[in-house]
Amino acid sequence: MDWPTTCLEVLNEDPLVVKNPKNWYHSHTYGGWGRFFKGLRECKLLATRCTNPACAEKRLWLPPRADCPDCWHPMEWVEAPQVGRIYTHSVVTYPGELFKLPPGTPLISVEIEGVCTKLMSWLKEGKPEFGMKVKAVFNTKRPTNTILDLAWVPA
Amino acid sequence: MIRFGPGNLRIPRFEKPVYVVAGGVTDFRKRYPEKNTCQLCMEALRMAVEENDLKVEPEEFRRMVNWVVYSQFADHFGDQLLAAAKIHDYLGFDPLGNIEVKTGGATGGSAVLAAAQAVASGYATCVPVVGWERMDEVSTRVGNSYIASAACKDFESELGWMYAAYYALMAQRYQYENNVPHETLAKIAVKNHLYAYYSPFSQNPGKYTVEDVLKNDIVSDPLTFLECCVMSVGAAVLILADEETAARLTDQPIRLKAICGGSHTLRTADRRHMPILLPHETEEMYKEYFRGRRTEWPGFSSFLASRMAAYLAYNMAGIRNPLEDFDLLETHDAFTISDVQTYEDIGLRPYGRGREFIESGDAYYEGRLPTNLSGGLIGTMHAVGATGIWQMVEILWQLQGKYDKFHGDPKMWERYGKKKPADWRSLQVKNARRGCAISHAGTGSHVTCAILEKP
Repeated sequence: MDWPTTCLEVLNEDPLVVKNPKNWYHSHTYGGWGRFFKGLRECKLLATRCTNPACAEKRLWLPPRADCPDCWHPMEWVEAPQVGRIYTHSVVTYPGELFKLPPGTPLISVEIEGVCTKLMSWLKEGKPEFGMKVKAVFNTKRPTNTILDLAWVPA
Repeated sequence: MIRFGPGNLRIPRFEKPVYVVAGGVTDFRKRYPEKNTCQLCMEALRMAVEENDLKVEPEEFRRMVNWVVYSQFADHFGDQLLAAAKIHDYLGFDPLGNIEVKTGGATGGSAVLAAAQAVASGYATCVPVVGWERMDEVSTRVGNSYIASAACKDFESELGWMYAAYYALMAQRYQYENNVPHETLAKIAVKNHLYAYYSPFSQNPGKYTVEDVLKNDIVSDPLTFLECCVMSVGAAVLILADEETAARLTDQPIRLKAICGGSHTLRTADRRHMPILLPHETEEMYKEYFRGRRTEWPGFSSFLASRMAAYLAYNMAGIRNPLEDFDLLETHDAFTISDVQTYEDIGLRPYGRGREFIESGDAYYEGRLPTNLSGGLIGTMHAVGATGIWQMVEILWQLQGKYDKFHGDPKMWERYGKKKPADWRSLQVKNARRGCAISHAGTGSHVTCAILEKP
């Protein structure tokens, strides 16, 4: 048998450090909330609500959950309002590897009437301010199939 | 859960008292190609058994160990699954049983919690807790992306691939509600970089001014580089024992009076408030919070996990008021603002008034409750799996009166190729009796609160 032909490049001789390249992908499983991401392609903002009449909370969840954290019953899909207010914001100057938007993109958390969460998202136009009214916009042209397909603009 | 049931707030109890007898660390560096992870863990263990005035020889100590707990945050970084098995073998502990604990940034605290549970239940009598992280095999940018894969990969990681950004969103909201001057936040960074200056183990020491911090580059608005924790390579070891074993090992055992854990959602979006009052707080205190407009505490801009852990640990250890009952504190100062939030969660000030803990001088050496005399995560280290363990090692040494022994000996500095600063000063807290350590993960997904006390 011959020696392998793939060699690890030496990055530093002393102390010895070699380069170990990796080149493969993960199949990212959305499972029960795949419907939310497919909904974005149709300009729908899909949340979930508990179907158990006895559930004390029956909150509207966005990000959606297939199952209710308060009573463990399955939840049903409901369209959430596409308007909200900026609850908080920050501009990320030094994002990590894999960030698909340019540095300087304003990140926002959105407060939506009736929804019990503060959805994390990004502001596509304008300068973010606390309490600012925003409306949802959707990337239908060339969807990334990630949460970035949802963004907000001043309403 | 949003309403607590009677079982949910049960105060934990140890069946047997638990003691901390020794601690060891490596120095912490951004890159450490000279030593692999096994060697770093050995170095920390060797310091624990050889330099803590134990009354037995290392070989005899080895024969007393009957369980080991390992602590590493991310297999991604080490690029080695089951690294614990490799390290366990390297440390010569085969065929003893062991477990590896993983709770993000709080992994170190949780590992000590797991070891304490083993000792308290009688399962084990002598348990080393070994933690490490090797974060230098990838670039800082990729490292940040790895850390951000400890956010929700479906709904939040994509929004920055950067943990500082997720913290910044909470920080901005906190600032909107409480308006802490950036100068106050900068003071925390100045303090911790300065305390790191007196530590031979520190990665990012420095004598900075408030202005230096404010003028520094912004990572994610409002946080500057000098206000964020370092990314480190290094290891730490803490040794836990039952009463009988502790007495055989040392003349200065320190009691682990309590260590308790809390949690909250990984996604910052999903934070719902669930009020818990600490022993010294009343509902009356919060009537005027955020000009009476805010009834939701601790909520989006607080760490309910910290509040839960503190509630349990304070009640378990009989703490009535942390400001009066603790002599020193180590917080998980991943970011300056998260430190202010934590001051409130653990009851050093009521919600909305955390800034006063810094502004009053309480947090400083010789203040009411000196905080992060170790240099913290901002100044000294954040080799994630080692962090929570190292915090308790530093508290152990303080309670044993050994700050100078480990930080002031010129030989300790030389060991790491450093020179002890001519203007070095001792940060030994006089007559320190009781210390508290907060270990923290995610944007508050897991938190442990540990209380160490001189018997």
